Amino acid sequence: MLKMLALLGLGLALPTAVIAHHGWGSYDAAHPITVAGPIETLKYENPHALITVKGADKVWTVTLAPTSRMQARGAPPEFVAVGKLVSAFGYPSTVEKAEMRAERITIDGKTVELR
Amino acid sequence: MLHDAPQVLIALEQSAFASAVRASTWGYMTANVGHILALMLFVSSVAVMDARLIGAFAATPPASVVRPARRLAALGLVLMAGTGFTLFAAEATHVATNPVFQIKLALIVAGILNALLAGRLLRKALDHTPAFTPLPAAARLLGVLSLLIWFATAACGRLIAYF
Repeated sequence: MLKMLALLGLGLALPTAVIAHHGWGSYDAAHPITVAGPIETLKYENPHALITVKGADKVWTVTLAPTSRMQARGAPPEFVAVGKLVSAFGYPSTVEKAEMRAERITIDGKTVELR
Repeated sequence: MLHDAPQVLIALEQSAFASAVRASTWGYMTANVGHILALMLFVSSVAVMDARLIGAFAATPPASVVRPARRLAALGLVLMAGTGFTLFAAEATHVATNPVFQIKLALIVAGILNALLAGRLLRKALDHTPAFTPLPAAARLLGVLSLLIWFATAACGRLIAYF
């Protein structure tokens, strides 16, 4: 029975493992990075706001926080508006290329903690 | 969004409903909190129902516990499905391709089938078993199975965020 269940789980998991959803576990907290540059796009949406940032080497997708937390911490949509210069400190994804989740962001000299 | 996901998932994620859930400050949060509250109702009713099937509360006629608990559990399940669908729609392409979510869906199907089976198999025994009388062994087996399936389902639900 247990074996059957395990096989079932494995069978379901294998075909899609390569495009798996990126949970908080799949970020490399041991190697934090800072991405700095202009904000190119903004999705002020739940469950997490997203910006893309034109960094020195490439364009990064930076995962921020739920919009309610962003508002509460002083980061409304205007704060992360397209065109602003941002410095995002956080952890690169181990699954998706050029994606990171931000621990904190600094814009116009103001730092907002996102965790 | 995953652009190589099945069309139906892309359509769901791009629907007006899903967009509204993402755009609103309260929509996703409310569904998320509602999902947990529905889970409390669901799993507490399931636990009472299954405990009676397994042999707890022996002083009660089993039908007097199992049937009302089952109705409450059904209400909880409906609320879970509604709030769950809302959470799913907002990120349909990513969530649907998450292996843990797929295992969770399979467990939900197994849990519902198990509940339907128990409803059929145990109807007569529930009608005729008085207090202080053990139910047939099948009742204990189905009760234990139900608890295992639903606890595993809840664990998978939380684990979606980590895989």
